Amino acid sequence: MACSSSPRPTKVQEFHVYEINERDRSSPAYLSLSQKPAHSLGDLVPFTNKIYTGDLQKRLGITAGLCILIESKPEKKGDRYEAMYSFYFGDYGHISVQGPYLTYEDTSLAVTGGSGIFEGVYGHVKLHQIVFPFKILYTFHLKGIEDLPQELTAVKLVEPSPSVEPSPAAKACEPQATVSNFTN
Amino acid sequence: MASASSLKAISSLCLSNPFKSSPSPSQTQRLLGLNFSHSHSFPPSKRSTQPTKVQELNVYEINERDRGSPAYLRLSKKEVNSLGDLVPFSNKIYSGDLEKRLGITSGLCVLIQNVPEKKGDRYEAIYSFYFGEYGHISVQGAYLTCEDTYLAVTGGSGIFEGVYGQVKLQQIVFPFKLFYTFYLKGIADLPAELTGKPVAPSPSVEPSPAAKATEAHATVKNFTN
Repeated sequence: MACSSSPRPTKVQEFHVYEINERDRSSPAYLSLSQKPAHSLGDLVPFTNKIYTGDLQKRLGITAGLCILIESKPEKKGDRYEAMYSFYFGDYGHISVQGPYLTYEDTSLAVTGGSGIFEGVYGHVKLHQIVFPFKILYTFHLKGIEDLPQELTAVKLVEPSPSVEPSPAAKACEPQATVSNFTN
Repeated sequence: MASASSLKAISSLCLSNPFKSSPSPSQTQRLLGLNFSHSHSFPPSKRSTQPTKVQELNVYEINERDRGSPAYLRLSKKEVNSLGDLVPFSNKIYSGDLEKRLGITSGLCVLIQNVPEKKGDRYEAIYSFYFGEYGHISVQGAYLTCEDTYLAVTGGSGIFEGVYGQVKLQQIVFPFKLFYTFYLKGIADLPAELTGKPVAPSPSVEPSPAAKATEAHATVKNFTN
């Protein structure tokens, strides 16, 4: 967080990110450390997935982090996790987040900080599950940073649905369909 | 059992008192009755150039032993608490006046080192406080089982969106009762429901029976559970 004599910029900037598990990063790694048959406190789930722009035309990079199983919610047919992870955007930098991940409903996580163009960022991000646990749409609400590049913001959001897929060019990481030095 | 030489290697990481010359293998006590209260003065904030209002929020965290918590994962495979051990946890939280159930904490303590001469441990803690419909506050910092600490407030959601600042952690009864004083900046005025006069911390503090029973008038809206 910046320590300066001018107030933190409070203009809110929004942009969307799709997180997609293409099952080619050995993720997630479900560690049943509670040693109980059902999901229980003690289980840890490191993970890393690919991320794309909201129009699914460009590969941005990856997510990377940890979900801590807090409790199983049988009445909701799902689980509560505490999640701490980052989104990596190639040369642009990264955004770190912390907060709840409920497999059965949308949540809002805290944006705890970032690097590169995201240095000094704060705000929150809405997590919307499309297909558990393979497709998630995020809407970032960011403050404290300069105007985001058009490459991230001037995109027409593909509306979330179970069948959304990245464009073939983005999936193949063709140069015109990635950000600079996309994280992999 | 960790050898004395490996404990000396760990002692090079210790930021407080140096180890005495032959530390005995320690047994970290996990019994009720331990009451470490060590008041802790904190240097003035570097944000003094930025006139931002600080709001105090008091929260009691109480382990009622009904959430399977904590889950001590002895991944170091040593008998003494050692680097490698991880402790996921989740407890209930109540308002400072102990009249309302707010929600829960949830997160992870990473054991950093055992501090035998203080009969305690240093953890790095990353966790969140959930306040029902109000949202959540995330924190990160040091948890020392034998003294008070300050953690960073890293962010939040709902009414806490954009929050920054720090939180003071006071152990009342290790590890079952903790008292927090949040010093929050960057958010609108907190609702009155959260800012009632706190009950002074002592080993015998208990939530009101109504709050413990989560009766409708003794919880915040959709308290997290």
